[in-house]
Amino acid sequence: MSLDAPPLLELSDVALAVDGRALLQGIDLSACERRIGIVGRNGSGKTTLARVMAGLVAPDRGRVRIGGVDVTRDRKAAIRQVGILFQNPDHQIIFPTVEEEIAFGLGQLGQDKQTAAAGVVAMLERFNKSHWAKIAVHTLSQGQKQLVCLMAVLAMQPGVIILDEPLSGLDIPTRMQLARYLEGVEATLVHVSHDPSTLSSYDRVIWLSDGRIVQDGAAGEVLRAFTAEMTSLGGADDISDLAG
Amino acid sequence: MISLTSPVETRAHHWPAGAKLAALCVATMVLFAAQSLIFHLAVFAALLALYAAPGAVFLRAGLRRLRVLWPFLAIIFLWHLITQTPEQGAVIALRLLTAVGLANLVTMTTRLSDMIAVIRWLATPLRRLGLSTAALELSIALVIRFTPALAAKGGQLAQSWRARSRRRPGWRIILPFALLALDDADHVAEALKARGGI
Amino acid sequence: MERNVALIALFAALIAALGLIPKVTLGFGVPITAQSLGVMLCGTVLGARRGTLAVLLFLLLVAIGLPLLAGGRGGLGVFTSPTVGFLVGFPLAAFVTGLITERWRAAPLTLVAGIAAAVGGIVVLYGVGIAGLALVLGKSLPEAALLVAVFIPGDMLKAAVAGMLTSALARARPAAVLSRS
Repeated sequence: MSLDAPPLLELSDVALAVDGRALLQGIDLSACERRIGIVGRNGSGKTTLARVMAGLVAPDRGRVRIGGVDVTRDRKAAIRQVGILFQNPDHQIIFPTVEEEIAFGLGQLGQDKQTAAAGVVAMLERFNKSHWAKIAVHTLSQGQKQLVCLMAVLAMQPGVIILDEPLSGLDIPTRMQLARYLEGVEATLVHVSHDPSTLSSYDRVIWLSDGRIVQDGAAGEVLRAFTAEMTSLGGADDISDLAG
Repeated sequence: MISLTSPVETRAHHWPAGAKLAALCVATMVLFAAQSLIFHLAVFAALLALYAAPGAVFLRAGLRRLRVLWPFLAIIFLWHLITQTPEQGAVIALRLLTAVGLANLVTMTTRLSDMIAVIRWLATPLRRLGLSTAALELSIALVIRFTPALAAKGGQLAQSWRARSRRRPGWRIILPFALLALDDADHVAEALKARGGI
Repeated sequence: MERNVALIALFAALIAALGLIPKVTLGFGVPITAQSLGVMLCGTVLGARRGTLAVLLFLLLVAIGLPLLAGGRGGLGVFTSPTVGFLVGFPLAAFVTGLITERWRAAPLTLVAGIAAAVGGIVVLYGVGIAGLALVLGKSLPEAALLVAVFIPGDMLKAAVAGMLTSALARARPAAVLSRS
């Protein structure tokens, strides 16, 4: 990569308000690390940021570029650059069977039926799940559904994959297995989480609070500060504070 | 999702779905035009023979599906007993059984994927006119995906209701249920958009 | 576009899922299912055009062999059975219900949606349904009407529920009630 290449991920002065409530304000970010974590409490704007970065929600102000593509405006190019894994796989899976689910994205990239079918077979083989092809999605477990979502996103080969807490709500062995699958992913990962331990091996971590970046730096340093703050808040009683 | 196609593989499973549907249309029109008791008896006997040909399991499954008609058959029986027009009653009852039986037969011997192929073929003129039928095919898949999901969520709602109430969940559970469908629609729209939209 | 397709498909699935709710038996022994409530809601919530499309999508899936009608029925047989008129009447009912909800803005939504559901889901639906019954059973219209009259009180109850649900939905998710947007 040449030195003057634009950063893979570039957000400039991104702001978003919904119903008069500021969800994101003044987010500036430029990154080319392969593993980026975003931490914050519930309601800190993490999920909103993930959706804005994936181009699903247009910011009121500012720009989001991934791989040089304006992901909000140029949706056609955006789906080649960025994929997203939602927290709840039931919100992501559109089709009744595993193979249809994976094939859909490939069709969206302009592949014909045969090429897409071959892509599905290859993706299932890569995860040793060839026997899943015809399985009805609603019979799978939560972790299995999440893996289907991951395969569907990977099949489209985006440069950046945004993970919106896909590991929360899974049991420990399932979480470890999925985390291992994620480790092996070639693409850049932007992993949104409220659990510092999942991000400890990451290259860079960004701490978000009230829609602003509080701290941005090496994982060890940011996670230590975040954990200290969370532990001290845990002793307090701000659960009664109402948003707005 | 379970379709009503019979798991008993018959020769008719391999016949073209379009031909079966066209034949059903013609047969139904003939049934409603014909008035002779002998004709209807013969056609009904032929239908039973068709059901019996693939074996006892298929025959029993087919007859079980005709059972939903019994209230109507009871009404016809009583009515024509009272009006003393037994022949007319027999014609109406046999026609009903044969028409429903034939249609069920097509459903039982045609795979869902073949049916969807027929719909795609029927929609060809629309595509010629430049209309996209991708949305139609997508919606069919969406309904098949979401009916069991919604049903499962409805079951969960009923459970969390019962966990806190001694009474059966009533109409009040339909509001949260409809909200689930509305919210699911938002999630699906988002998931579609994340992968390039329609 | 994505949102419209998703809403239409989800409401088609909602009609099917409502059919799975166990039958409620009214005081005088007549069973009612929640399925036609789904048809009414398609009209009151999605409006005339999209509501009709949702119901048509539901019927298409029934026709190709999915057991989506109350009691797990489906397939082509239901379109030659005596109740065919009620199935043909479903999309018309949703259309009329939706049209009234869209056009009549002067009264509170609960009342409008309730009356719209009654006109579409009872007057229109029974009109077509009774005609179908008469045709298949070889009876006159008044004779056929006599056979289904017992179900009307149940459907009046459903229309009232549809009215209340629609205004509750409009409060909870105003953007989703397309008939009023």
